[in-house]
Amino acid sequence: MFDLFSDIFTYRDNALTRIDPRVKLLIALAALVAVVSAERPILPFGFFVLCLGTVAALGVPAKLVALRLAAPFSTVAVLVVIHTFVTGTTPLFTLTLGGWTLTAKAEGFRQGLFLGNRVLGALSIVLLLGIATPAHRIFQALRGFRISKEWVEVAILMYRYIFVLLDRVGDLAAAQRLRLGYRAPRRGLASFSALAGATIVHSFEQARRTHDAMRLRGYRGTMPFGPFPALKRRERGILLLGLAGILAAYAILEWGVAG
Amino acid sequence: MIDQRMPIRTILATAVLLCALPSPAFAMHIAEGILPLPWALLWYAVAFPFVAWGLRDLRRRSREAPWFKPLVGLVGAALFLISCMPIPVPTAGTCSHPSGAGIAAILIGPWLTAVVASIALTLQALFLAHGGLTTLGANIVSMGVAGAWVGWGVFAAARRFGLPWFAAAFLAGLFSDWATYATTSLELAAALHGEGSFTTMFSLILLAFVPTQLPLGILEGFLCAGALKFIRSRRPELLRAVPEGGTS
Repeated sequence: MFDLFSDIFTYRDNALTRIDPRVKLLIALAALVAVVSAERPILPFGFFVLCLGTVAALGVPAKLVALRLAAPFSTVAVLVVIHTFVTGTTPLFTLTLGGWTLTAKAEGFRQGLFLGNRVLGALSIVLLLGIATPAHRIFQALRGFRISKEWVEVAILMYRYIFVLLDRVGDLAAAQRLRLGYRAPRRGLASFSALAGATIVHSFEQARRTHDAMRLRGYRGTMPFGPFPALKRRERGILLLGLAGILAAYAILEWGVAG
Repeated sequence: MIDQRMPIRTILATAVLLCALPSPAFAMHIAEGILPLPWALLWYAVAFPFVAWGLRDLRRRSREAPWFKPLVGLVGAALFLISCMPIPVPTAGTCSHPSGAGIAAILIGPWLTAVVASIALTLQALFLAHGGLTTLGANIVSMGVAGAWVGWGVFAAARRFGLPWFAAAFLAGLFSDWATYATTSLELAAALHGEGSFTTMFSLILLAFVPTQLPLGILEGFLCAGALKFIRSRRPELLRAVPEGGTS
Protein backbone atom coordinates (compact mmCIF):
# COMPACT_ATOMS: atom_id res chain seq x y z
CA MET A 1 0.00 0.00 0.00
CA PHE A 2 2.90 2.37 0.74
CA ASP A 3 4.09 1.99 -2.87
CA LEU A 4 0.83 3.51 -4.05
CA PHE A 5 1.10 6.50 -1.77
CA SER A 6 3.07 8.75 -4.02
CA ASP A 7 2.36 12.38 -4.80
CA ILE A 8 5.31 12.86 -7.13
CA PHE A 9 3.06 13.47 -10.15
CA THR A 10 1.35 16.40 -8.46
CA TYR A 11 4.61 18.39 -8.59
CA ARG A 12 5.04 18.10 -12.36
CA ASP A 13 4.46 21.21 -14.38
CA ASN A 14 1.53 20.76 -16.76
CA ALA A 15 -1.70 22.46 -17.72
CA LEU A 16 -3.67 20.74 -14.97
CA THR A 17 -1.23 21.30 -12.09
CA ARG A 18 -1.14 25.04 -12.94
CA ILE A 19 -4.90 25.48 -12.37
CA ASP A 20 -6.01 26.91 -9.00
CA PRO A 21 -6.92 23.99 -6.68
CA ARG A 22 -10.24 25.63 -5.77
CA VAL A 23 -11.28 25.44 -9.43
CA LYS A 24 -10.23 21.78 -9.67
CA LEU A 25 -12.06 20.91 -6.45
CA LEU A 26 -15.30 22.56 -7.60
CA ILE A 27 -15.18 20.89 -11.02
CA ALA A 28 -14.36 17.51 -9.46
CA LEU A 29 -17.21 17.90 -6.97
CA ALA A 30 -19.69 18.77 -9.75
CA ALA A 31 -18.48 15.78 -11.80
CA LEU A 32 -18.85 13.45 -8.79
CA VAL A 33 -22.39 14.67 -8.13
CA ALA A 34 -23.22 14.08 -11.81
CA VAL A 35 -21.80 10.55 -11.71
CA VAL A 36 -23.44 9.41 -8.46
CA SER A 37 -26.80 10.82 -9.49
CA ALA A 38 -26.63 9.27 -12.99
CA GLU A 39 -29.24 6.64 -13.80
CA ARG A 40 -27.68 5.44 -17.05
CA PRO A 41 -24.22 3.90 -17.40
CA ILE A 42 -23.04 6.08 -20.29
CA LEU A 43 -22.25 9.24 -18.27
CA PRO A 44 -20.07 7.49 -15.63
CA PHE A 45 -18.36 5.53 -18.40
CA GLY A 46 -17.73 8.75 -20.31
CA PHE A 47 -16.05 10.29 -17.26
CA PHE A 48 -14.02 7.11 -16.78
CA VAL A 49 -12.67 7.23 -20.34
CA LEU A 50 -12.03 10.98 -20.23
CA CYS A 51 -10.24 10.99 -16.86
CA LEU A 52 -8.23 7.84 -17.49
CA GLY A 53 -7.21 9.20 -20.91
CA THR A 54 -6.04 12.42 -19.22
CA VAL A 55 -4.14 10.42 -16.58
CA ALA A 56 -2.41 8.48 -19.36
CA ALA A 57 -1.63 11.70 -21.23
CA LEU A 58 0.01 13.08 -18.08
CA GLY A 59 2.44 10.15 -18.20
CA VAL A 60 1.33 8.35 -15.04
CA PRO A 61 2.53 4.71 -15.24
CA ALA A 62 -0.27 2.29 -16.10
CA LYS A 63 0.95 -0.07 -13.35
CA LEU A 64 0.37 2.55 -10.64
CA VAL A 65 -3.11 3.30 -11.99
CA ALA A 66 -3.94 -0.42 -12.15
CA LEU A 67 -2.71 -0.96 -8.59
CA ARG A 68 -4.77 1.94 -7.30
CA LEU A 69 -7.85 0.64 -9.09
CA ALA A 70 -7.38 -2.98 -7.93
CA ALA A 71 -9.14 -2.63 -4.57
CA PRO A 72 -12.23 -0.82 -5.89
CA PHE A 73 -12.38 -3.27 -8.83
CA SER A 74 -12.64 -6.16 -6.40
CA THR A 75 -15.42 -4.38 -4.48
CA VAL A 76 -17.23 -3.95 -7.79
CA ALA A 77 -16.78 -7.68 -8.50
CA VAL A 78 -18.52 -8.52 -5.21
CA LEU A 79 -21.41 -6.19 -6.02
CA VAL A 80 -21.81 -7.64 -9.54
CA VAL A 81 -21.91 -11.19 -8.12
CA ILE A 82 -24.40 -10.27 -5.39
CA HIS A 83 -26.72 -8.47 -7.77
CA THR A 84 -26.45 -11.13 -10.49
CA PHE A 85 -27.54 -13.96 -8.21
CA VAL A 86 -29.92 -12.13 -5.95
CA THR A 87 -31.67 -9.45 -8.02
CA GLY A 88 -34.07 -9.89 -10.94
CA THR A 89 -36.21 -12.61 -12.49
CA THR A 90 -34.98 -13.28 -16.06
CA PRO A 91 -32.57 -16.27 -16.01
CA LEU A 92 -29.19 -15.68 -17.62
CA PHE A 93 -27.31 -18.88 -16.76
CA THR A 94 -27.18 -21.42 -13.96
CA LEU A 95 -24.26 -22.45 -11.81
CA THR A 96 -23.98 -25.61 -9.73
CA LEU A 97 -22.01 -25.22 -6.54
CA GLY A 98 -21.64 -28.26 -4.31
CA GLY A 99 -25.08 -29.60 -5.12
CA TRP A 100 -26.73 -26.16 -5.00
CA THR A 101 -27.93 -24.56 -8.19
CA LEU A 102 -27.61 -20.82 -8.52
CA THR A 103 -29.41 -18.88 -11.23
CA ALA A 104 -27.88 -15.68 -12.54
CA LYS A 105 -30.41 -13.06 -13.60
CA ALA A 106 -30.13 -10.56 -16.42
CA GLU A 107 -31.55 -7.59 -14.47
CA GLY A 108 -29.18 -8.17 -11.59
CA PHE A 109 -26.19 -8.47 -13.90
CA ARG A 110 -27.13 -5.18 -15.59
CA GLN A 111 -27.62 -3.51 -12.21
CA GLY A 112 -24.22 -4.79 -11.06
CA LEU A 113 -22.53 -3.52 -14.19
CA PHE A 114 -24.22 -0.14 -13.81
CA LEU A 115 -22.91 0.12 -10.25
CA GLY A 116 -19.47 -0.90 -11.46
CA ASN A 117 -19.57 1.82 -14.10
CA ARG A 118 -20.51 4.39 -11.50
CA VAL A 119 -17.61 3.34 -9.27
CA LEU A 120 -15.13 3.53 -12.15
CA GLY A 121 -16.43 6.92 -13.28
CA ALA A 122 -16.30 8.47 -9.81
CA LEU A 123 -12.98 6.85 -8.99
CA SER A 124 -11.28 8.13 -12.13
CA ILE A 125 -12.35 11.71 -11.30
CA VAL A 126 -10.76 11.52 -7.83
CA LEU A 127 -7.71 9.76 -9.30
CA LEU A 128 -7.19 12.64 -11.71
CA LEU A 129 -7.70 15.22 -8.94
CA GLY A 130 -5.16 13.44 -6.73
CA ILE A 131 -2.64 13.26 -9.55
CA ALA A 132 -3.02 16.91 -10.55
CA THR A 133 -3.07 18.58 -7.11
CA PRO A 134 -0.64 18.31 -4.18
CA ALA A 135 -2.27 17.50 -0.83
CA HIS A 136 -1.23 20.74 0.87
CA ARG A 137 -2.84 22.77 -1.91
CA ILE A 138 -6.05 20.75 -1.63
CA PHE A 139 -6.10 21.45 2.11
CA GLN A 140 -5.40 25.14 1.51
CA ALA A 141 -8.27 25.24 -0.96
CA LEU A 142 -10.53 23.57 1.61
CA ARG A 143 -9.60 26.31 4.09
CA GLY A 144 -10.52 28.76 1.33
CA PHE A 145 -13.96 27.12 1.33
CA ARG A 146 -14.21 27.81 5.11
CA ILE A 147 -13.53 24.25 6.26
CA SER A 148 -12.55 24.34 9.98
CA LYS A 149 -8.99 25.63 10.44
CA GLU A 150 -8.32 23.00 13.14
CA TRP A 151 -9.24 20.24 10.68
CA VAL A 152 -7.02 21.72 7.94
CA GLU A 153 -4.14 22.30 10.37
CA VAL A 154 -4.21 18.72 11.68
CA ALA A 155 -4.56 17.44 8.10
CA ILE A 156 -1.46 19.36 6.98
CA LEU A 157 0.52 18.09 9.99
CA MET A 158 -0.66 14.54 9.40
CA TYR A 159 0.25 14.62 5.74
CA ARG A 160 3.70 16.09 6.45
CA TYR A 161 4.55 13.58 9.16
CA ILE A 162 3.23 10.50 7.36
CA PHE A 163 6.36 10.67 5.20
CA VAL A 164 8.67 11.44 8.14
CA LEU A 165 7.30 8.51 10.13
CA LEU A 166 7.28 6.31 7.03
CA ASP A 167 11.08 6.53 6.84
CA ARG A 168 11.35 5.64 10.52
CA VAL A 169 8.88 2.73 10.20
CA GLY A 170 10.75 1.47 7.14
CA ASP A 171 14.03 1.37 9.10
CA LEU A 172 12.39 -0.39 12.05
CA ALA A 173 10.69 -2.96 9.82
CA ALA A 174 13.97 -3.64 7.98
CA ALA A 175 15.75 -4.15 11.32
CA GLN A 176 13.02 -6.54 12.44
CA ARG A 177 13.29 -8.54 9.22
CA LEU A 178 17.07 -8.77 9.59
CA ARG A 179 16.51 -10.22 13.07
CA LEU A 180 14.05 -12.76 11.55
CA GLY A 181 11.15 -11.03 13.29
CA TYR A 182 8.64 -12.22 10.73
CA ARG A 183 9.84 -15.83 10.37
CA ALA A 184 6.86 -17.47 12.07
CA PRO A 185 3.26 -16.20 12.28
CA ARG A 186 3.26 -15.80 16.06
CA ARG A 187 6.61 -14.04 16.09
CA GLY A 188 5.48 -11.93 13.14
CA LEU A 189 2.42 -10.75 15.02
CA ALA A 190 4.55 -9.81 18.04
CA SER A 191 6.98 -7.92 15.77
CA PHE A 192 4.12 -6.21 13.99
CA SER A 193 2.60 -5.09 17.32
CA ALA A 194 5.98 -3.82 18.51
CA LEU A 195 6.37 -1.92 15.22
CA ALA A 196 2.95 -0.30 15.68
CA GLY A 197 3.78 0.55 19.32
CA ALA A 198 7.17 1.99 18.36
CA THR A 199 5.54 4.11 15.65
CA ILE A 200 3.13 5.58 18.19
CA VAL A 201 5.92 6.21 20.72
CA HIS A 202 7.95 7.93 18.03
CA SER A 203 4.95 10.06 17.01
CA PHE A 204 4.50 11.26 20.61
CA GLU A 205 8.17 12.22 20.87
CA GLN A 206 8.15 13.89 17.46
CA ALA A 207 5.01 15.86 18.42
CA ARG A 208 6.89 17.63 21.24
CA ARG A 209 9.85 18.37 18.98
CA THR A 210 7.55 19.59 16.21
CA HIS A 211 5.67 21.88 18.58
CA ASP A 212 8.93 23.34 19.90
CA ALA A 213 10.19 23.91 16.35
CA MET A 214 6.88 25.52 15.36
CA ARG A 215 6.96 27.84 18.39
CA LEU A 216 10.47 28.95 17.50
CA ARG A 217 9.11 29.88 14.08
CA GLY A 218 6.34 32.00 15.58
CA TYR A 219 3.55 29.42 16.00
CA ARG A 220 1.05 30.60 18.66
CA GLY A 221 -1.60 27.90 18.51
CA THR A 222 -2.91 28.35 14.96
CA MET A 223 -1.30 28.23 11.55
CA PRO A 224 -1.69 31.40 9.51
CA PHE A 225 -3.41 30.63 6.21
CA GLY A 226 -3.47 34.22 5.01
CA PRO A 227 -6.01 35.85 2.70
CA PHE A 228 -7.00 33.85 -0.33
CA PRO A 229 -6.57 35.69 -3.63
CA ALA A 230 -9.64 36.02 -5.83
CA LEU A 231 -9.72 33.69 -8.81
CA LYS A 232 -8.11 35.13 -11.91
CA ARG A 233 -10.15 35.72 -15.04
CA ARG A 234 -8.60 32.72 -16.78
CA GLU A 235 -9.45 30.46 -13.85
CA ARG A 236 -13.00 31.77 -13.61
CA GLY A 237 -13.28 30.92 -17.31
CA ILE A 238 -11.99 27.37 -16.73
CA LEU A 239 -14.46 26.92 -13.87
CA LEU A 240 -17.41 28.12 -15.92
CA LEU A 241 -16.37 26.02 -18.90
CA GLY A 242 -15.92 22.91 -16.74
CA LEU A 243 -19.27 23.30 -14.98
CA ALA A 244 -21.06 24.07 -18.25
CA GLY A 245 -19.48 20.99 -19.85
CA ILE A 246 -20.62 18.73 -17.03
CA LEU A 247 -24.13 20.18 -17.10
CA ALA A 248 -24.33 19.77 -20.88
CA ALA A 249 -23.10 16.17 -20.69
CA TYR A 250 -25.64 15.41 -17.96
CA ALA A 251 -28.47 17.04 -19.91
CA ILE A 252 -27.65 15.14 -23.09
CA LEU A 253 -26.85 11.74 -21.63
CA GLU A 254 -29.29 11.63 -18.72
CA TRP A 255 -32.23 13.78 -19.72
CA GLY A 256 -31.84 13.12 -23.45
CA VAL A 257 -32.09 16.85 -24.25
CA ALA A 258 -30.41 16.41 -27.64
CA GLY A 259 -32.64 13.50 -28.59
CA MET B 1 -35.85 -6.71 -7.46
CA ILE B 2 -34.66 -9.18 -4.81
CA ASP B 3 -36.83 -12.25 -4.46
CA GLN B 4 -38.41 -11.94 -0.99
CA ARG B 5 -38.82 -15.74 -0.68
CA MET B 6 -35.25 -16.51 -1.58
CA PRO B 7 -34.25 -19.82 0.06
CA ILE B 8 -31.53 -19.68 2.67
CA ARG B 9 -29.42 -22.12 0.63
CA THR B 10 -29.32 -19.65 -2.28
CA ILE B 11 -28.05 -16.97 0.08
CA LEU B 12 -25.47 -19.39 1.47
CA ALA B 13 -24.39 -20.56 -1.98
CA THR B 14 -23.97 -16.95 -3.13
CA ALA B 15 -21.98 -16.27 0.01
CA VAL B 16 -19.73 -19.27 -0.74
CA LEU B 17 -19.21 -17.93 -4.25
CA LEU B 18 -18.33 -14.50 -2.84
CA CYS B 19 -15.74 -16.08 -0.57
CA ALA B 20 -13.81 -17.04 -3.69
CA LEU B 21 -13.34 -13.36 -4.52
CA PRO B 22 -10.44 -11.46 -2.97
CA SER B 23 -12.39 -8.25 -2.50
CA PRO B 24 -13.38 -8.37 1.18
CA ALA B 25 -9.72 -8.18 2.11
CA PHE B 26 -9.62 -4.66 0.67
CA ALA B 27 -13.19 -3.67 1.31
CA MET B 28 -12.65 -1.81 4.56
CA HIS B 29 -14.03 1.36 3.02
CA ILE B 30 -16.92 1.82 0.64
CA ALA B 31 -15.48 2.62 -2.78
CA GLU B 32 -16.06 5.91 -4.56
CA GLY B 33 -19.35 6.13 -6.43
CA ILE B 34 -21.12 3.12 -4.90
CA LEU B 35 -23.58 5.12 -2.85
CA PRO B 36 -26.31 7.07 -4.65
CA LEU B 37 -26.35 10.82 -3.90
CA PRO B 38 -29.15 10.82 -1.23
CA TRP B 39 -27.37 8.09 0.76
CA ALA B 40 -24.01 9.79 0.41
CA LEU B 41 -25.53 13.02 1.78
CA LEU B 42 -27.32 11.20 4.59
CA TRP B 43 -24.08 9.62 5.87
CA TYR B 44 -22.32 12.99 5.64
CA ALA B 45 -25.10 14.39 7.83
CA VAL B 46 -24.69 11.53 10.34
CA ALA B 47 -20.90 11.95 10.47
CA PHE B 48 -20.93 15.75 10.74
CA PRO B 49 -21.89 16.15 14.44
CA PHE B 50 -19.23 13.64 15.53
CA VAL B 51 -16.47 15.40 13.59
CA ALA B 52 -17.74 18.84 14.70
CA TRP B 53 -17.76 17.76 18.36
CA GLY B 54 -14.29 16.28 17.91
CA LEU B 55 -13.02 19.59 16.54
CA ARG B 56 -14.58 21.41 19.49
CA ASP B 57 -12.80 18.95 21.78
CA LEU B 58 -9.55 19.59 19.90
CA ARG B 59 -9.89 23.38 20.33
CA ARG B 60 -10.58 23.00 24.06
CA ARG B 61 -7.68 20.63 24.70
CA SER B 62 -5.32 22.77 22.57
CA ARG B 63 -6.06 25.75 24.83
CA GLU B 64 -5.11 23.64 27.87
CA ALA B 65 -2.01 22.10 26.25
CA PRO B 66 -0.67 24.06 23.25
CA TRP B 67 1.25 21.04 21.94
CA PHE B 68 -1.95 18.99 21.70
CA LYS B 69 -2.71 19.88 18.06
CA PRO B 70 0.71 18.71 16.80
CA LEU B 71 0.26 15.62 18.98
CA VAL B 72 -3.06 14.75 17.32
CA GLY B 73 -1.49 15.35 13.90
CA LEU B 74 1.46 13.11 14.70
CA VAL B 75 -0.62 10.37 16.34
CA GLY B 76 -2.96 10.61 13.34
CA ALA B 77 0.01 10.13 10.99
CA ALA B 78 1.18 7.13 13.01
CA LEU B 79 -2.30 5.59 12.98
CA PHE B 80 -2.57 6.24 9.24
CA LEU B 81 0.66 4.30 8.72
CA ILE B 82 -0.48 1.47 11.02
CA SER B 83 -3.74 1.25 9.06
CA CYS B 84 -1.67 0.87 5.86
CA MET B 85 0.52 -1.94 7.21
CA PRO B 86 -0.27 -5.24 5.51
CA ILE B 87 -1.44 -8.15 7.68
CA PRO B 88 -1.54 -11.60 6.04
CA VAL B 89 -5.01 -13.16 6.33
CA PRO B 90 -4.52 -16.95 6.09
CA THR B 91 -8.18 -17.77 5.32
CA ALA B 92 -8.22 -15.53 2.26
CA GLY B 93 -4.64 -16.18 1.20
CA THR B 94 -4.07 -12.46 0.86
CA CYS B 95 -3.15 -9.37 2.86
CA SER B 96 -5.46 -6.95 4.57
CA HIS B 97 -5.04 -3.85 6.72
CA PRO B 98 -6.03 -3.06 10.30
CA SER B 99 -8.53 -0.21 10.77
CA GLY B 100 -6.65 1.30 13.72
CA ALA B 101 -9.87 2.79 15.08
CA GLY B 102 -9.74 0.83 18.35
CA ILE B 103 -6.21 1.83 19.30
CA ALA B 104 -6.87 5.42 18.18
CA ALA B 105 -9.95 5.62 20.41
CA ILE B 106 -7.98 4.29 23.40
CA LEU B 107 -5.15 6.78 22.83
CA ILE B 108 -6.98 9.99 21.92
CA GLY B 109 -10.64 9.24 22.70
CA PRO B 110 -13.54 8.54 20.32
CA TRP B 111 -14.37 12.18 19.45
CA LEU B 112 -10.88 12.95 18.20
CA THR B 113 -10.74 9.59 16.45
CA ALA B 114 -13.62 10.81 14.26
CA VAL B 115 -11.52 13.88 13.30
CA VAL B 116 -8.38 11.84 12.62
CA ALA B 117 -10.41 9.24 10.69
CA SER B 118 -12.00 11.95 8.53
CA ILE B 119 -8.53 13.24 7.56
CA ALA B 120 -7.02 9.79 7.04
CA LEU B 121 -9.99 8.76 4.89
CA THR B 122 -9.70 11.94 2.81
CA LEU B 123 -6.01 11.23 2.19
CA GLN B 124 -6.73 7.59 1.36
CA ALA B 125 -9.49 8.60 -1.07
CA LEU B 126 -7.29 11.16 -2.83
CA PHE B 127 -3.99 9.33 -2.99
CA LEU B 128 -4.75 5.62 -2.64
CA ALA B 129 -8.19 5.26 -4.32
CA HIS B 130 -9.22 3.66 -1.04
CA GLY B 131 -12.73 4.76 -0.09
CA GLY B 132 -13.90 7.94 -1.77
CA LEU B 133 -15.02 11.54 -1.45
CA THR B 134 -18.69 10.77 -2.09
CA THR B 135 -18.54 7.88 0.38
CA LEU B 136 -16.44 9.81 2.92
CA GLY B 137 -19.39 10.40 5.24
CA ALA B 138 -20.33 6.71 5.25
CA ASN B 139 -16.73 5.66 5.83
CA ILE B 140 -16.31 8.14 8.70
CA VAL B 141 -19.46 6.71 10.30
CA SER B 142 -18.28 3.10 9.99
CA MET B 143 -14.64 3.61 11.03
CA GLY B 144 -14.43 6.89 12.93
CA VAL B 145 -17.76 6.65 14.71
CA ALA B 146 -18.92 3.02 15.01
CA GLY B 147 -15.40 1.53 15.14
CA ALA B 148 -14.10 4.20 17.53
CA TRP B 149 -17.06 4.23 19.92
CA VAL B 150 -17.33 0.44 20.05
CA GLY B 151 -13.57 0.13 20.64
CA TRP B 152 -13.54 2.81 23.32
CA GLY B 153 -16.74 1.52 24.95
CA VAL B 154 -15.53 -2.08 25.04
CA PHE B 155 -12.18 -0.99 26.50
CA ALA B 156 -13.80 1.17 29.18
CA ALA B 157 -16.36 -1.53 30.07
CA ALA B 158 -13.74 -4.28 30.19
CA ARG B 159 -11.54 -2.20 32.51
CA ARG B 160 -14.56 -1.42 34.71
CA PHE B 161 -15.30 -5.15 34.97
CA GLY B 162 -11.74 -5.66 36.17
CA LEU B 163 -10.26 -7.28 33.06
CA PRO B 164 -6.50 -6.81 32.67
CA TRP B 165 -5.63 -3.98 30.30
CA PHE B 166 -4.12 -6.44 27.76
CA ALA B 167 -7.42 -8.33 27.50
CA ALA B 168 -9.38 -5.05 27.42
CA ALA B 169 -7.21 -3.73 24.58
CA PHE B 170 -7.58 -7.03 22.69
CA LEU B 171 -11.37 -6.88 22.95
CA ALA B 172 -11.36 -3.21 21.95
CA GLY B 173 -9.36 -3.95 18.77
CA LEU B 174 -11.46 -7.02 17.97
CA PHE B 175 -14.89 -5.42 18.39
CA SER B 176 -13.92 -2.10 16.83
CA ASP B 177 -12.82 -3.97 13.68
CA TRP B 178 -15.98 -6.04 13.54
CA ALA B 179 -18.16 -3.00 14.25
CA THR B 180 -16.52 -1.17 11.35
CA TYR B 181 -17.35 -3.99 8.94
CA ALA B 182 -20.85 -4.54 10.27
CA THR B 183 -21.58 -0.84 9.79
CA THR B 184 -20.07 -0.88 6.30
CA SER B 185 -22.33 -3.84 5.43
CA LEU B 186 -25.33 -2.00 6.82
CA GLU B 187 -24.54 1.13 4.82
CA LEU B 188 -24.09 -0.85 1.61
CA ALA B 189 -27.22 -2.94 2.12
CA ALA B 190 -29.33 0.10 2.99
CA ALA B 191 -28.28 1.87 -0.20
CA LEU B 192 -28.30 -1.07 -2.59
CA HIS B 193 -31.17 -3.38 -1.62
CA GLY B 194 -33.57 -1.47 -3.90
CA GLU B 195 -37.12 -2.77 -3.61
CA GLY B 196 -35.96 -6.12 -2.28
CA SER B 197 -35.20 -7.38 1.15
CA PHE B 198 -32.77 -5.33 3.19
CA THR B 199 -32.10 -8.32 5.45
CA THR B 200 -31.10 -10.58 2.54
CA MET B 201 -28.73 -7.99 1.12
CA PHE B 202 -27.28 -7.21 4.56
CA SER B 203 -26.73 -10.92 5.29
CA LEU B 204 -25.02 -11.45 1.94
CA ILE B 205 -22.63 -8.53 2.30
CA LEU B 206 -21.89 -9.44 5.91
CA LEU B 207 -21.21 -13.06 4.90
CA ALA B 208 -18.92 -11.85 2.13
CA PHE B 209 -16.79 -10.06 4.74
CA VAL B 210 -16.66 -13.03 7.15
CA PRO B 211 -13.72 -15.05 5.67
CA THR B 212 -11.32 -12.13 6.03
CA GLN B 213 -12.84 -9.99 8.75
CA LEU B 214 -13.33 -12.73 11.32
CA PRO B 215 -9.59 -13.52 11.47
CA LEU B 216 -8.59 -9.91 10.77
CA GLY B 217 -10.58 -8.75 13.80
CA ILE B 218 -8.72 -11.24 15.98
CA LEU B 219 -5.39 -10.11 14.50
CA GLU B 220 -6.35 -6.47 15.08
CA GLY B 221 -7.18 -7.35 18.68
CA PHE B 222 -3.67 -8.76 19.17
CA LEU B 223 -2.16 -5.78 17.35
CA CYS B 224 -4.02 -3.32 19.59
CA ALA B 225 -3.02 -5.19 22.77
CA GLY B 226 0.56 -5.73 21.59
CA ALA B 227 1.07 -2.09 20.64
CA LEU B 228 -0.27 -0.88 23.98
CA LYS B 229 1.89 -3.44 25.78
CA PHE B 230 4.92 -2.02 23.96
CA ILE B 231 4.05 1.57 24.89
CA ARG B 232 3.30 0.67 28.52
CA SER B 233 6.57 -1.22 28.89
CA ARG B 234 8.79 1.39 27.17
CA ARG B 235 7.15 4.76 27.77
CA PRO B 236 4.20 4.41 30.19
CA GLU B 237 4.22 8.15 30.86
CA LEU B 238 3.11 8.76 27.27
CA LEU B 239 -0.24 7.16 27.98
CA ARG B 240 -0.74 9.33 31.05
CA ALA B 241 0.21 12.40 29.02
CA VAL B 242 -2.90 12.10 26.86
CA PRO B 243 -5.56 14.04 28.74
CA GLU B 244 -8.89 12.18 28.95
CA GLY B 245 -7.57 9.33 26.85
CA GLY B 246 -8.92 5.90 27.64
CA THR B 247 -5.75 4.62 29.24
CA SER B 248 -4.89 7.51 31.55
